Amino acid sequence: MPRTTTVDCPGCPPLRALTFDALGLIKVIEARGEQGGVAKVVERWGEPDTSKCVLAASTDDSKHDPLLAVARKSGLIEVLNPLNGDLRVSISNVNDAGARPEDDAVVGLHLFRRQRLESASRFCTLLTCTTKGNASMRSIEISNLPEESSSSSSFKSWNVCASGTILCSKVDRSENYAVFGGKGVEVNLWDLDKCTKIWTAKSPPKTSLGIFTPTWFTSATFLSADDHRKFVAGTNSHQVRLYDTSAQRRPVMSFDFRETPIKALAEEPDSYNIYVGNGSGDLASVDIRTGKLLGCFVGKCSGSIRSIVRHPTLPVIASCGEYLDAPLHLDLSGQLFAHLGYKVTATSLCGLFLNSIVVFLKQHLTEVVFDSTFADKEVAQAAADPHIDETYNMKEIQGDETETLPVKRKKASKEKDNESKRKSSKEKTESKKSKSKKKSKRVKVESDDDA
Amino acid sequence: MGGKRKKSESEELIEGEKDNDKNKEGSNKKKREILPSMIKNKEKRSSVHAKLKHEKKLEKRKKLKARDAAEKLALELGEEPPPRMVPRTIENTREPDETVCRPDDDELFAGNDADEFSSVLKHDRTPKILITTCRFNSTRGPAFISELLTVIPNAHYFKRGTYDMKKIVEYANNKDFTSIIVVHTNRRDPDALLVIGLPDGPTAHFKLSKLVLRKEIKNHGNPTGHLPELVLNNFTTRLGHRIGRLIQSLFPQDPEFRGRRVVTFHNQRDFIFFRHHRYIFETKEGKESDSKVKKAKEDSKSKKTKDAKGEKITKEKVIARLQECGPRFTLKLISLQHGTFDTKGGEFEWVHKPEMDTSRRRFFL
Repeated sequence: MPRTTTVDCPGCPPLRALTFDALGLIKVIEARGEQGGVAKVVERWGEPDTSKCVLAASTDDSKHDPLLAVARKSGLIEVLNPLNGDLRVSISNVNDAGARPEDDAVVGLHLFRRQRLESASRFCTLLTCTTKGNASMRSIEISNLPEESSSSSSFKSWNVCASGTILCSKVDRSENYAVFGGKGVEVNLWDLDKCTKIWTAKSPPKTSLGIFTPTWFTSATFLSADDHRKFVAGTNSHQVRLYDTSAQRRPVMSFDFRETPIKALAEEPDSYNIYVGNGSGDLASVDIRTGKLLGCFVGKCSGSIRSIVRHPTLPVIASCGEYLDAPLHLDLSGQLFAHLGYKVTATSLCGLFLNSIVVFLKQHLTEVVFDSTFADKEVAQAAADPHIDETYNMKEIQGDETETLPVKRKKASKEKDNESKRKSSKEKTESKKSKSKKKSKRVKVESDDDA
Repeated sequence: MGGKRKKSESEELIEGEKDNDKNKEGSNKKKREILPSMIKNKEKRSSVHAKLKHEKKLEKRKKLKARDAAEKLALELGEEPPPRMVPRTIENTREPDETVCRPDDDELFAGNDADEFSSVLKHDRTPKILITTCRFNSTRGPAFISELLTVIPNAHYFKRGTYDMKKIVEYANNKDFTSIIVVHTNRRDPDALLVIGLPDGPTAHFKLSKLVLRKEIKNHGNPTGHLPELVLNNFTTRLGHRIGRLIQSLFPQDPEFRGRRVVTFHNQRDFIFFRHHRYIFETKEGKESDSKVKKAKEDSKSKKTKDAKGEKITKEKVIARLQECGPRFTLKLISLQHGTFDTKGGEFEWVHKPEMDTSRRRFFL
C-alpha cells in the first residue's frame, strides 16, 4: 500500500501524560506548544525492577494538590504526586488471608476525588479490586512525609465474585457505582455507598447451533457521565456489548470487532462514540447506538492495546500498548470526526493517516493517564500559546462544517483565527470562561503586536 | 541524397556533409544504445542488448582496475588511498527508526534482565527443546526435523498425534522443557515455524521459506555432536533484540569451540537467514611465498636447501575454510505473541499488518 498524502499536523496541543510500564517506571510525556508540538519524555521516575510492575493506576487531577495512585505487582499501592513524582503514601494491599500478591494481583484501582473536595482535608479514598474479587475501599490520610501518613480511618472490604477471576473494573463519573467483570464472571453493578450488588448481567442465549461461549469480560466502561445505567463491556471473544441496567439483563446491543479479544474501551464524553482497542493493536471508533464502525486509527500501532484514555477537555486520546514500537499514540480525534463527513468504511480508512504522535517508550506499557491540569498551567505561566487556541478553534469549527477537508479548514481557521477566537471562547461552557477570557486577552495583545 | 550532391558540389561541402552524416549516425547509435527496447526485431534487439552489456562490463572492469592501480600507487607512495565509495543499498538507506537500540541504553539491559529468557541465558536453566509438528506431516517435514535435531542440542522430537497445542505446552512445562518448536507443513513442505518460550511465553510465528535440506547441498559436511557456536547478525531494534534473545535461548550458552560448528541467524531486511557450517583453519602456502621460494631456489642453487625451507615455513598463511552442513532456510516474522500459544485470546506484542508496509526501506527487526 502506498503512503497516502500526509495530513498537515496542526501540532500537538500542550499536554502532559504519564505512562506506566512493566518495569515499574513512570514516564512523563509532555508536549509543549513551543516545541512545535512534539511530544517527548521529559522525566522518568523509579528504577527498573520487575517486582514493581505497575498493574493499575488512577489519578485525581484537581487544581490544587493532585494525586496519583499506582498499584504495583508486589502488592504495594503508592500514592504519588503527579507533578514531581514524590511518594506521599505507600500502603500494602496484602490481606491477612496470606495470599501472595502475585496470585491475587490488583486489577482495578480508582482514586476518588469527591470526598477530598467535600471535606477539604488530607484524606483520599481508594477503591481496589483484585483478581480474586476482593474489593476494598479505604481512606488514607496524607501528610507531607510518607512515614507519618497512616492508613484507613475507614476500611470497607467485600467480595465481588464467588468464583472466576475479575479482569476489569470501572467506577462511573459520579463515583457512586462500579462495574466489575471477568473470566467466568458476568458484569455486575455495585452501589459503592452501600456495598451491595444492584444488578447482574445474564449471558446471551445459545446460538441456533447450540454453541455457548463462556463468559469472559476483559474491559468495561460507562457510556455517559451522568448515567450509570448504561455501560459497555468488551469480551474475550471479540464482542463489544452495550448493557442498559434499566432495560434488561441481556445486552441491548452487541457487535463483533475484528478477531482478537477486546482489551481496552473508552468513551467519548457527550456522544455515543466509544473507542475500542484489541489484542492485535487495532484501535477504532464505534457508534455504540448502531454498532457501526466510524473509523480506524491506523498508525504505528502493532501490539496489543492495554489502555485508552480520553483527555477530559482536548480532543485527544492516548492509547498505550504492549509493543515497544508504539506505546503512546495520541490522536487528535477531531481529525477523525472531520473525516466522518464522508461515508467512511473500514477499507477506505486504511489509507487515512490520522494525526498521531507516537512516542517510543521502550517498555511494555500497562497504563496511561492524562494530567488535564497541565494545559491550564501552561496558559497561566507562559505567554499566549497559539497552539491551544488553534486546536480549540479547530474543534469549534469542525462542529459547524463537517464537509470540507481538514487541511482547507485549517487554512481558513488561520485566517479567521483572531476574530473567531473571541467568539468561540465566549461560546464555551461557564467552567472554562475564566480561562478563555485570559486567553482572549492575550490574543488581543498578540494581535495588537501584529498590527 | 548525399550521393547526388557529392557529384555536383565542391569537396569541402562534401566533407562537411560526410561529417554531418557521421554525426547523424552517431546520434542514431546513441539513441539505439539508450533504448534497445525500441528495436522491434528481436534478434537485432538481443544482439544490441548483449553488446551493450558487454561494453558495460568491460567499462566496469576497467574502472575497477584503474581504482586498484590508483590505490596501489597511493600505498606505494605512502599516501592515504582515496576513500572507497559506499554503495547505496536498501539497508543503509533504511528509514530512521527510533526503536533501534543503542548500546548505552540502561533501560534495555534492565528490561533484558527481567525478560522471560534471562533464566536460560544466565545459565540457570539448560535449554531443552521439544520439537513437534502439525497434525499432518510427511516427506520433507520429518527430514527437516531430523536435521533440526542435529543442529539444536538437547532437542527431542515428539509425535504430534492429535494433541492440542495447549495440552502440549502444559506437558512440556511439566517436563521442564524450555522451548517448543512446531514445524508446520503444507503440501508436504515445511512452511512455518512456531517457537514458544516456556513457561510463560513469548510465542513467535515465522514464515519458513527456501528450505534446502542437507542432502541437496553440494559438498555438504556432516556436523559433529559438539555444542555449536551461535552467530546472530543485525538484530538491531527492540523487537529484533527480543527475537534474537528468543533464538539465543534455544541453544546452550557454552559453545565447544573444538567442534568448529557454527549456527548463523543473519537478519537482512527482516528476513532471517539460517545457515549451519563447519569451519576449519588451514595452514596453506600463499602465492607470494611460493614464488619467492622458487626464486630463492633458482638463485641459490648452490646454497643449501634448508634456508629455502625455513623461508617457506615463515611465509605460511592461515586461511579459514567453510563447509556448509545444512539445512538452509529463511525465516520471516509474522507475529510475536505475549504468553504461550493462544491464538484466540492472545495478546500480541507485534503483528505484521499490511498497512505497515509503507516503504520498502522500513524494517522492524
